[in-house]
Amino acid sequence: MDWLNNTLGPEVTRGLFQLIGINVAFVGVLMIVAYTVLAERRVLGFIQGRLGPNRVGPGGLFQPFADLLKFIFKEEIVPDKSTRFIYMLAPFLAIVCALMPLIVYPFGPDLHIPGTRITIPLVVTRFDVALLYVLAITSVGVYGIALAGWSSNNKYSLMGGLRSAAQLISYELALGLSLVGVVLLSSTLDLYSIVEQQGGWFGLHWNIFRLPFPQIFGFVIYLISAIAETNRVPFDLPEAETELVAGFHTEYSALKFALFFMAEYVNMFTVSMLATTMFFGGWQGPGVATFPVLGVVYFLLKVSFFLFLYIWLRGTLPRFRFDQLMNFGWKFLLPAALLNLIVTATVVFFFG
Amino acid sequence: MIETLVGITPFVIFFLLAGLAIGCAVAMVTQRNPLYSAISLIGVFVALAGLYLTLAAPFIAVVQIIVYAGAIMVLVVFVIMLLNVEEEVRRPARLRYLVPAAALLAAVLFAEAAFVFFFVGDPPAAAPGGPAVGQTVSIGTGLFTTYLLPFEITSILILMAIVGAMTLARRTAVRPGELDVPGAAVWPLHAVAPGRAADAAEVKAGTSAEAAHALGLGGTPQQKE
Amino acid sequence: MIPLKWYLALSAVLFTIGVAGVIVKRNAIAMFMCIELMLNSVNLTLVAFSSYFRDASGQLFVFIVMTVAAAEAAVGLGIILAVFRNRESLDVDDASLLKL
Repeated sequence: MDWLNNTLGPEVTRGLFQLIGINVAFVGVLMIVAYTVLAERRVLGFIQGRLGPNRVGPGGLFQPFADLLKFIFKEEIVPDKSTRFIYMLAPFLAIVCALMPLIVYPFGPDLHIPGTRITIPLVVTRFDVALLYVLAITSVGVYGIALAGWSSNNKYSLMGGLRSAAQLISYELALGLSLVGVVLLSSTLDLYSIVEQQGGWFGLHWNIFRLPFPQIFGFVIYLISAIAETNRVPFDLPEAETELVAGFHTEYSALKFALFFMAEYVNMFTVSMLATTMFFGGWQGPGVATFPVLGVVYFLLKVSFFLFLYIWLRGTLPRFRFDQLMNFGWKFLLPAALLNLIVTATVVFFFG
Repeated sequence: MIETLVGITPFVIFFLLAGLAIGCAVAMVTQRNPLYSAISLIGVFVALAGLYLTLAAPFIAVVQIIVYAGAIMVLVVFVIMLLNVEEEVRRPARLRYLVPAAALLAAVLFAEAAFVFFFVGDPPAAAPGGPAVGQTVSIGTGLFTTYLLPFEITSILILMAIVGAMTLARRTAVRPGELDVPGAAVWPLHAVAPGRAADAAEVKAGTSAEAAHALGLGGTPQQKE
Repeated sequence: MIPLKWYLALSAVLFTIGVAGVIVKRNAIAMFMCIELMLNSVNLTLVAFSSYFRDASGQLFVFIVMTVAAAEAAVGLGIILAVFRNRESLDVDDASLLKL
């Protein structure tokens, strides 16, 4: 490490390590997403009283690779009258905006390799406005869906795309506001510091339990908004098969459809990571001070719990009608988030 | 060699972002399809956000993405999709005698700008270790202490904008004899033709104009492309 | 360190492109977008000066400008929608009822 510092200079060394970190995070997330798809099919199967796919490999563990091969070899059908540039741009926009927030999440505490002076930080980068960065990328992710719906030159796609985009921009307000309560408690927008402040006290310092004002209300609002943001049941009318064929990705085939599919699951993963980081203590847990690697294990366990919650909800709940969805987002969730913010601010001012 | 590469990187990044901004701006002005113009403008905003990052203003960069690229342009793209705006048709150029006048005035403007650029001095080097200007803390402190009045006034301004936008965009029911516009909502029969509320016969039509004509509400069933 | 002049030059170029767009374009929404480009070029000037002179008021002003631009976008697009509903056309040359 010192040798690298001396030959390449400190900035290049830091850049090199960040590049390695980005690659590791990228590959890790893609693997986790592939197995989330498999887990969803199996768990949904068990909820619905049947087995999911279990033929390919032991218990179906090689199913994601079979799916990937299928997507690669399928025929690409491009609709004739679509606007070509936007048609090609939309899935890339969706997947890029789904993957970009990964760089700010802390996957664990700093790893000190014993015997050397090497410290590996388990977050790709920390900067001052990390939470706002995540919200900004979420806002730009709306374009992937709206442009996909428009460029397919298909009534059902257009309706699905516009409805989905309207739902996304409505619920991202409640999403942002529900997170501001946590920011008030932690006095910082940096996700690494927010996780660091939730240590100790046997889990009672997690933001969902934290005095002066436990953010339970904020967490519930965040969870509902996050499910709406990722277009999952019960908010998945824009892509429901019985209503709108397949919504905005009707006319996409093969690899582009795979990109949209992956983008949805990466989004699910991202909002689950944000929920654990902001409300459930991130990598905090018993024994992390002595064995820092346990931090990664706890983080992944908490994120898996949220992913399981998503799949469980998909198997259990019916879906909202679109006007019910919009009513709920604007007339109930947004005032509730504002109320949470006001109460949190008042309590922090008087007792914090 | 590494030192020169590291030293040259800020300039490379500046030229890349500036080139992207100017390229997308020119694309926005020259494109005839308004949806492509909107996407080019989003490219300009993202390039400007990158430039704000090189100026050590991360808060403004992220707020630029949230407000401009994520909210205002979504609104513009929605309006373009809702109104189904078509490409601009090239009309024959009129008033050709104004072109040399425009070139002359542009040259005068350029001369003024060049004069200003040559004589703007470099700012004095500030003492290192001063307060960080671009961080959220300094902007938040300023907003709530020195600039509290503009902050409160902008909140009232946004309230006015919400009320104004809702008033302007509100629709009344289509009266009989009026043509409907593309992208209109689907109205129940008793709102469109009050006298025929009991008539629930199915009308096969491709556009709302044809449907209005078939229902006997007037208007010609033109083809709207 | 990049000289301040370069940022000012870039801002001037973007502003000029915006002005040219407002003059040349006939579509109301395209004109609106060129106006937003002009506002952004001014934002760039403000942030550049704020960064080089280490004064936070430039960035605060940019914050207020962005808020005002958002409010203006909402109302402006509402006006464009209302005009479209009455005239069926977004061409500003067609909105010339008050001409002599």
